[in-house]
Amino acid sequence: MRLAISIKNLFFKYRNENVLEEINATICEGEYIALIGPNGGGKSTLLKLILGLLTPTQGEVLIFGKPPFKQRKLLGYMPQYVNFKLELPLLVKEVILQGRLERFKFRYTPNDFKALYEISQKLKIENLLDKKISTLSGGLRQRVLLARALIANPKILLLDEPTASVDMKAQREIYALLKTLPITKLVVSHDINLLLEGVDRVFYVNKRLVIHESLDIKISSPREGHFCQVELFEELKRSKNDRSS
Amino acid sequence: MIEALELFSNSLIASLLLSFAVALIGPLMLINRYNYLAASIAHGSYGGVGLAIYFGISILLGATLFALFLAFLLALITFKEKYPEILISLVWAVGMSIGIIFIDLAPGYKSDLLAYLFGDILLVPNLDLWFMVGVDLLLLAFVALYKNHLLALAYDREFATLRGLDVKFLHTLTLIMIALTVVMSIRSIGLILVIALFSIPPYIAEKFSRSYVGSMVLSGIITLIVMIAGLFISYTFNISASASIILFTAVLFLGVFKR
Ligand SMILES: Nc1ncnc2c1ncn2[C@@H]1O[C@H](COP(=O)(O)OP(=O)(O)O)[C@@H](O)[C@H]1O
Ligand SMILES: [Mg+2]
Repeated sequence: MRLAISIKNLFFKYRNENVLEEINATICEGEYIALIGPNGGGKSTLLKLILGLLTPTQGEVLIFGKPPFKQRKLLGYMPQYVNFKLELPLLVKEVILQGRLERFKFRYTPNDFKALYEISQKLKIENLLDKKISTLSGGLRQRVLLARALIANPKILLLDEPTASVDMKAQREIYALLKTLPITKLVVSHDINLLLEGVDRVFYVNKRLVIHESLDIKISSPREGHFCQVELFEELKRSKNDRSS
Repeated sequence: MIEALELFSNSLIASLLLSFAVALIGPLMLINRYNYLAASIAHGSYGGVGLAIYFGISILLGATLFALFLAFLLALITFKEKYPEILISLVWAVGMSIGIIFIDLAPGYKSDLLAYLFGDILLVPNLDLWFMVGVDLLLLAFVALYKNHLLALAYDREFATLRGLDVKFLHTLTLIMIALTVVMSIRSIGLILVIALFSIPPYIAEKFSRSYVGSMVLSGIITLIVMIAGLFISYTFNISASASIILFTAVLFLGVFKR
């Protein structure tokens, strides 16, 4: 399988103190990675280093063998905070189409609009395209930025807490959609549901990186639409009892 | 009344050309929070006026070159500095000081310097009108070509970078366009008052617009209204036109936002 992302001995600091230390990881094409860890652990920073928005203090990131800034067209990104610049009089469709901009492309083509309608249908925001972005709820705005990340058909998708402000139902829908995308995915999330939606590996980031390989949680009877830490512990207890009996 | 209209004809054309410029660049200044940078260019450009008078070259040319220089300088400062405010203020003050000193040093008769700081829209020369037409056309080309890029940049700089847009180039080009717009309004509104005209109509327009293009159109209309109203107030009471225009703009601003 092809190597999509490789991170070699990466260190990063904004000012004096290392935010990330000695990060080593390789991610294969098509892998689905969940990024977890405490607040301030460096998850968002790691995504920005992979995107090439930040430069490592030491070490390197390669995307399909090349530095990130050469591979920008392959990357789709959704930032952590979605409630910025609300004073800008921008329409939803204008925001989504930004995902198709290029350095020497100044006008949107019919293909761009076709992609706009397809992706907004997938994300169920096709009725909002002519609304002002500031009139949307946080959850809907999150979908709009997800659409912006997806509209250029990226090979690698990096999402920073994509479901932080959406309700439970929308969360499941988004994770179900992600599951169907056959591309490389790195998703930052505190949400335990994500772990059940086809994630291949879990990266725990807290200055350093701990990789949890081959996640194998089998849920005997998940209640429809609900699974949280309590169920997880119940599952663990049950499997422990199974083993001891 | 006919005489009054004749007197007004150049000022009406100037008002129209200025409104067009405000429509094109004002909302862009607003969404990027460039007002402070623009004010620094505007005030600093007085240095160009002083140098032009000292060396006896065309004031329009001197101010244009100097304003362009300031635009590049400020672009550099905003790239390099994490907290650029101090240096932006310095450019502002040093530019003005250069202007004052070179005018002091200039030999012979000194034309009415207040005219460059506060403008006189009743006395805009034809050459300046042509300069304004030129800048308007440049602004139109700039916005028509880069509108989507500029909006993407203003909305989300990181994402724009990721899409491969040349953030530094766009930022510098925007400052250059602001510099040209400032210079084009020296004669009519003056370097000091121009910032109010470039800030307040777009600010009002933004509150009432559904889209960015809508806010551009409305900015232009509001600017034209305040300029013509200011002109008539100035004519009626025989007081400074620029100050009347700006005060009328302020009154409109308060009227719109008093609730
Ligand atoms: N732009 C910045 N400048 C300085 N420090 C930052 C910046 N962004 C994040 N940090 C710091 O870096 C650390 C990691 O932050 P972040 O990557 O946002 O963590 P996470 O996404 O896991 O919550 C935190 O201590 C945070 O305060
Ligand atoms: Mg974060």
